[in-house]
Amino acid sequence: MSCTEYERTSAFLDGELDDRESAEVEQHLETCPHCQALAAAAGDASELLRGPAARLTAPAGLRARIGQRLDAEAATVVRLPRVRRQSGWDRFWVGAAGGVGVSAIAAALALVAFLPPSPATLTGELADAHIDALMSGRTIAVVSSSHHTVKPWFAGRAPLSPPVADFAQQGFPLTGGRVDRIGRQKAAVVVYRHGAHEIDLYAWPTDGALPMGADRRGYHLVFWAEGDLSFAAVSDVQRSELEAFVQLVKSERG
Amino acid sequence: MDSHRTEFERLAMPHLDAAYSLAHWLSRSAVDAEDIVQDAMLRAFRAFDTVRGESVRPWLMTIVRNCFRDHVARVNRLEGLGDRLEQAPSDDPSPEAEAAAASDRRRLDAMLALLPDDYREVLILREMEDMSYREIADAIGAPIGTVMSRLARARGLLKDKWLAEDGR
Repeated sequence: MSCTEYERTSAFLDGELDDRESAEVEQHLETCPHCQALAAAAGDASELLRGPAARLTAPAGLRARIGQRLDAEAATVVRLPRVRRQSGWDRFWVGAAGGVGVSAIAAALALVAFLPPSPATLTGELADAHIDALMSGRTIAVVSSSHHTVKPWFAGRAPLSPPVADFAQQGFPLTGGRVDRIGRQKAAVVVYRHGAHEIDLYAWPTDGALPMGADRRGYHLVFWAEGDLSFAAVSDVQRSELEAFVQLVKSERG
Repeated sequence: MDSHRTEFERLAMPHLDAAYSLAHWLSRSAVDAEDIVQDAMLRAFRAFDTVRGESVRPWLMTIVRNCFRDHVARVNRLEGLGDRLEQAPSDDPSPEAEAAAASDRRRLDAMLALLPDDYREVLILREMEDMSYREIADAIGAPIGTVMSRLARARGLLKDKWLAEDGR
């Protein structure tokens, strides 16, 4: 069983389609069970490959052996003066750097292993998840300022379809999304910017009471519930700015 | 240490764990991964003059991928690459975390075992290294359309096999 739209659905999940094609595929995804199953499988595979299990540590012996080989090599080779050639590689990387700036930076920074949320409270878990994402550089798994790209990316990856809107006009541009684990739950995280600060908007199916607003380790948290979803906005912007952002999100929903 | 060696230590060696992880999941073998990474780091060191600082990681990952391909070709000539799965090295902080990670690593390896080399490598580069289609195309020396169709087929294959398992 398959569908002729597999390729576009797959490219769409990777954020590789333009807005028009994304909208087409998004519509198709709503009704095609084959492509929905494909998105779910792609989400599971993505979770395993991006998770902590995939990140291994090179054995110490290997590291030492490589160091010795390099030392030996450096000692014996007389180097020619450094000449900058305009090779195919160079041209490619100049182009690539322009096109995939954010994801390349994210990939380069993704050296710190993602730590599972540890403490008991929701507040602590959210603050931990937010800080872990910032530290690991993996704050954005799908990079896009278009809700046509970000919203459907969650299909098959998160247990809900979070509201996604761009508030660039109001100073909070949409920059992408990711999925975080909060305790035993998966939460959809829609990522916004405000100046140099990141604001993470978490959404998950409600399964208990929410804390009051709180501050943890220099980050502000604002909680609220709507329908059967719970929300939390987490950021190090000023609390008044975070509350203004929350009002925007609420007004968009209402 | 000469400056070339120092620069390599500063810019390339921080990616050693990532290079090892990539080699491990491409080859699905801890032993082969060590050979591949050692080979790749030496090649990278010799060609280090040709790369700029900010693009070291994808450049290095491309070399790891090419060394994996060479390794497969070499082993195939000799004997044929079997499914040799050694246990992954344990450097995790606690026994509990290690047990959980080991179970996830088995799931990950079982998933990758379902895919032919051509599909596995594009999925790994896309998800583990977060490369764009353009970057993957350049890394494997194939058109973007090929990357797109291989990724779709890899995911379609996983979907079909997983659905079949669930149906049993």
